[in-house]
Amino acid sequence: MNGLDAAIEAFVAEIARGAWFAACGEPLTDSEDVDARLLAGALGFAGTGLARVADWREAAQQTQRPDWSRAWWQAEAAAEAALKTAAIARFGEAALLEELSRVMLAAAALNGAAALALARAHVADEALARVAAGAAAQACHQAALARAADAGTGHAFAAKFRLFAGGRWPLGVVGGRLFVF
Amino acid sequence: MSAKTITNVEAFNAAPEDYQTAVRKIVRSHAVNELYGAQVFDEPAIALAPTPYAKWLTCRVAMEEYGHHVRFRELGRQIGLSEDEMTPKGRRPLSIFEFPLKTWEEFCVIKLLADLAEIIQVEDLNHCSFQPLRNLARVTMPEEKFHAQFGKDFCTELCRTAEGRAKVQDAINRYFPLMPPFFGRSDSANNALFRKWGIKQNNNDDMRADFIARARALVEDHLHLKLPEVREAA
Repeated sequence: MNGLDAAIEAFVAEIARGAWFAACGEPLTDSEDVDARLLAGALGFAGTGLARVADWREAAQQTQRPDWSRAWWQAEAAAEAALKTAAIARFGEAALLEELSRVMLAAAALNGAAALALARAHVADEALARVAAGAAAQACHQAALARAADAGTGHAFAAKFRLFAGGRWPLGVVGGRLFVF
Repeated sequence: MSAKTITNVEAFNAAPEDYQTAVRKIVRSHAVNELYGAQVFDEPAIALAPTPYAKWLTCRVAMEEYGHHVRFRELGRQIGLSEDEMTPKGRRPLSIFEFPLKTWEEFCVIKLLADLAEIIQVEDLNHCSFQPLRNLARVTMPEEKFHAQFGKDFCTELCRTAEGRAKVQDAINRYFPLMPPFFGRSDSANNALFRKWGIKQNNNDDMRADFIARARALVEDHLHLKLPEVREAA
């Protein structure tokens, strides 16, 4: 087993142990507040105010607002591209893609966690469960890239993964504020 | 043994060579086309999606399509197909995959209509004589239905404006004529073999006619747009 295999195996186990969507709607803890600010700052949005999201309906609305930040999405895409380049330099493209496929298959199970959280909130919305699962899978992919590139726990995607795995859903910057459900 | 159920891979290995060949063709076709679909349409569509909601939903849909490839590939391995046979390398793709995706409207139309075509193909396997393939069809079906619903919901949303209606109609005009050939030739020897062994139930023309009728209901009755005329036989 090479270094990447071991790192991804450990990461896949972390995905399985996560409290996915279990704390959505609750007030942020101090460490979650720190991670949310770290996420914003590391992507070039230092000083952006945090906003709570009360429930799943509001989460659906916030993710469809026309004033969502394209710059936030682009900053994540740029960070992903940089990590991918660094990870390929360490392990080669074929090995990296194979390991990222393992992460994606592990993240496929997160639809169940999202559906369960929605059911507990008495919200019947198959599409919204998939939206949440898609966001969580993206976070897993990004965090796996950060691990493969040895970017450290202070990287934006490490913080984003901690928020997700701790039961949160960071929705991104909308209307100038970072919404965290 | 034309209608006999083959319950597992061991029984499959003891089945006539013709039967094994026929099942392998279907599994290989699904494995290749599910991967093509994810790579050519679903993954690029994430960047085209207009909101984070649509981007994450598309991300999930891409994962599910890739998951279908993985399931068919796993079954393919069990029945003796090689990895190379189940990836797009060296396999001639369906013609639709040769038209790169450029707009969100195109993607929504592909989900609306190409996934309907996929549903009809998978429905035909719901009573397949090879039980592992039948089970795979049944477990895949709810996700395929959701993907087609995704296309219907977003096309409905887009059609609320004149500009959106024009773009959806344009995408239908360009993509729909490519789809009826998915169902194969009217005189297909493969289809005759599939039906002889109870692997598939319907002939290509019947499935094509079903597809066109259901597509017409979606496009003309629901979206109030026009479905281009196409030949009902190939």
